Amino acid sequence: MTGFELPIALFLLCNLIVALLAAARGPTAADRMLMALLFGSTGTGVLVLLAHGGGGQVLVDVALLLALLAAIGGIAFARRAWQRGGDD
Amino acid sequence: MSLEFVFDLLLALAIIWSAWRSLSASRLDLAIVMFIVFGLLMALAWARLSASDIGLAEAAIGAGLTGALLLDAYGALKRREA
Amino acid sequence: MIEILSTALLIVGAFFYFAGTLGLLRFPDVYSRLHALAKADNLGLGCVLIGLALQAENVAVALKLLLIWPLALAASAGVSYAIARRADSLGIAPWRKEKQ
Repeated sequence: MTGFELPIALFLLCNLIVALLAAARGPTAADRMLMALLFGSTGTGVLVLLAHGGGGQVLVDVALLLALLAAIGGIAFARRAWQRGGDD
Repeated sequence: MSLEFVFDLLLALAIIWSAWRSLSASRLDLAIVMFIVFGLLMALAWARLSASDIGLAEAAIGAGLTGALLLDAYGALKRREA
Repeated sequence: MIEILSTALLIVGAFFYFAGTLGLLRFPDVYSRLHALAKADNLGLGCVLIGLALQAENVAVALKLLLIWPLALAASAGVSYAIARRADSLGIAPWRKEKQ
């Protein structure tokens, strides 16, 4: 580790918090779901960085699982939950 | 203030905020999305607490399966209304 | 040398995540927001993973890190396809620049 992992993980977390604050009042249902997907991919990145910055290699497994299961949520939204007659 | 402390503080604030939004949201879909976000942030928090096995379970059950099931139930509710 | 390259890749990855978040918040319709999200997924995560794999202490750890990338690529491609198809079948028209 070079000491750069934690600052970059912190930057990604700030990114997430800005997205959370701004997109929680997002105009349509799809925007809010896209924000959840962004949380999945950025969370994967943060976990990998934490694993390298002293968290141990087990966190890579958590990152792998997060990358996989965020997609399942997205598919469930597109195929089952997104109906006509919402606010979009 | 070390970087770790700032990271943990921001993570804790984001968890509390998303939990509150998930409970107080008036729209059901917003509440579900906030619950998914809460699960993802919780997995990050378990990882920071070096309890990575609980983080694994939280990522799988909390963020993945429960989120997908809640979205499916929301879709079924909407279809029944229509 | 490898450390400089790895740090540069991490910073490039963080930039792509930032650009993806910005695009998700600023772009006008669902299709272009999907594009911004896929950029954060593919390029941001890819650069971060390559940067970390360069620093890994042995080949097994590096390969495991690099294994996440194809998985994320396939997942984001599938999700983008499903959401765009659903948006199209719901009749959401793509955004166009308004004529003056």
